[in-house]
Amino acid sequence: MTSDDTPIEVTDEELLQKAGRGDLRSFEQFYDRAGGHIFSLLCQMMRDERVAAEVLRDGFASLWKQAAAYDPERCRALPWAVMHLRPQAIERMRVLGRRSRVVDSSVLDQTTPLMEAGDERLDARGSELAVALKKLPADQRQLIEQGFSRGLNYHILAESLEVPSETAKTNIHRGMLRLLELMKGAA
Amino acid sequence: MDPRHEELAALSALDMLESDEKRVLAGAGLADKDLRGLEEELRLLGAELGLLVAPVDPPAEMKKRIRAAIRSQGGGLLPRLSFGTLIAILGWLLAVVAVIAAGFLWTERTRLSHELDAASKAIALVVPAANASEGKALTLEEELNKLRQDVDKKEEALKSQIESLKKSEGEAKDQVAKLLAEAKAAEKRNAEIDWKITMLTTDVWEYRRGVMTTVWDRLRGHGMLMLDKMTRLESGQDYQLWVIAPGSDKAVNAGVIAVDKNGAFQGEFKPTTPVSGDAKFLLTVEKKGGAESPSSAKIFSGG
Repeated sequence: MTSDDTPIEVTDEELLQKAGRGDLRSFEQFYDRAGGHIFSLLCQMMRDERVAAEVLRDGFASLWKQAAAYDPERCRALPWAVMHLRPQAIERMRVLGRRSRVVDSSVLDQTTPLMEAGDERLDARGSELAVALKKLPADQRQLIEQGFSRGLNYHILAESLEVPSETAKTNIHRGMLRLLELMKGAA
Repeated sequence: MDPRHEELAALSALDMLESDEKRVLAGAGLADKDLRGLEEELRLLGAELGLLVAPVDPPAEMKKRIRAAIRSQGGGLLPRLSFGTLIAILGWLLAVVAVIAAGFLWTERTRLSHELDAASKAIALVVPAANASEGKALTLEEELNKLRQDVDKKEEALKSQIESLKKSEGEAKDQVAKLLAEAKAAEKRNAEIDWKITMLTTDVWEYRRGVMTTVWDRLRGHGMLMLDKMTRLESGQDYQLWVIAPGSDKAVNAGVIAVDKNGAFQGEFKPTTPVSGDAKFLLTVEKKGGAESPSSAKIFSGG
């Protein structure tokens, strides 16, 4: 993830730190790198490009205010941005009544799959995560991927996928713990 | 670690919980450091899934719109500084002001000393001619006295300013000491707290959606009860909470519980006779106003 006018050695984390010190140009460079990933996620959650663009605009404006608190020791830049923007998108879904509405299976089928290992757009950590995700049983992986991409609560996700709520809960629980274990092993 | 709390932490990592479940997890996290650690790890892992999202180009001009949004939210193009940074900047500003003030006072003192020296020299020159021009010498002497008085006054003012600064410094130190003492006391209070958090569900079919959570202070023998999604009772009935002391089979009344129209309740409770330690809890359905001892209509039981 680098733009043409940014030296390759400047990491996303460094850009975000500079943004925290008031460097708008660095913040815009970070947007150039991360904006596409986040917009793609927001489109799937909101299921409406116009609303997704609004959330992206408001979310990045709030990230600018919070950038001073960013700590690269704790978290990488893109996940940090996701961690801040996803709850804002969920709040917007709740306001629009989309958080508690069952999603038709035909819509779920259209979910853009997460990138798989070997995709050249992935960095080293992304590749490790893709490999680990692939190792999960299909039902666990599907619930985690759909849950992350669609921003639904587990009751609605279970209903949308036509699986019992308790089963969905258990599979997400087991899947996330296994994924954590695999990633710790990869580190 | 309670597997139900672990499950909530996994769901929370993908923002899949509703507010009542978030409250239960937050309550459990207060008493369980390992749970808090796991929750943080899972939250970071959940966010890292963002690395795998295939990018899609956002609308053109988006950067311009973000810049406009930054301006319109009143933050200008400077990010908000953290409290610690502000304190550090304030400290530096105070230090700079103190240095400038000291420099100014020193310059003023030097200038007055020079004026004093010049006046003394002038008098020395004038003295031989004093007899000839006694009136002029007297005027210079008056001038010198006036200058001395000025120097004295400024010295007094300087001393008073230094005293005032010392006083402010002393007050600030007292304030810091007081805050540190309060923080220590809070830490001590925190260390003395011995919470037990219990989340109960039920096999009773009519109440299967209900959740009961208790936060019990083992040392002080009181607690907080949270009920959610409880079934509405008939008009002549009430829910009643009971606390069972460790090693005992006698249930002590802890009050009648009135749930709201959503079947929720949140409030403190204390058994009518003191109970401490690892107590168990029981929720029953009783006649309106409560009963002396629990009936067989037990909804939640455990702890």
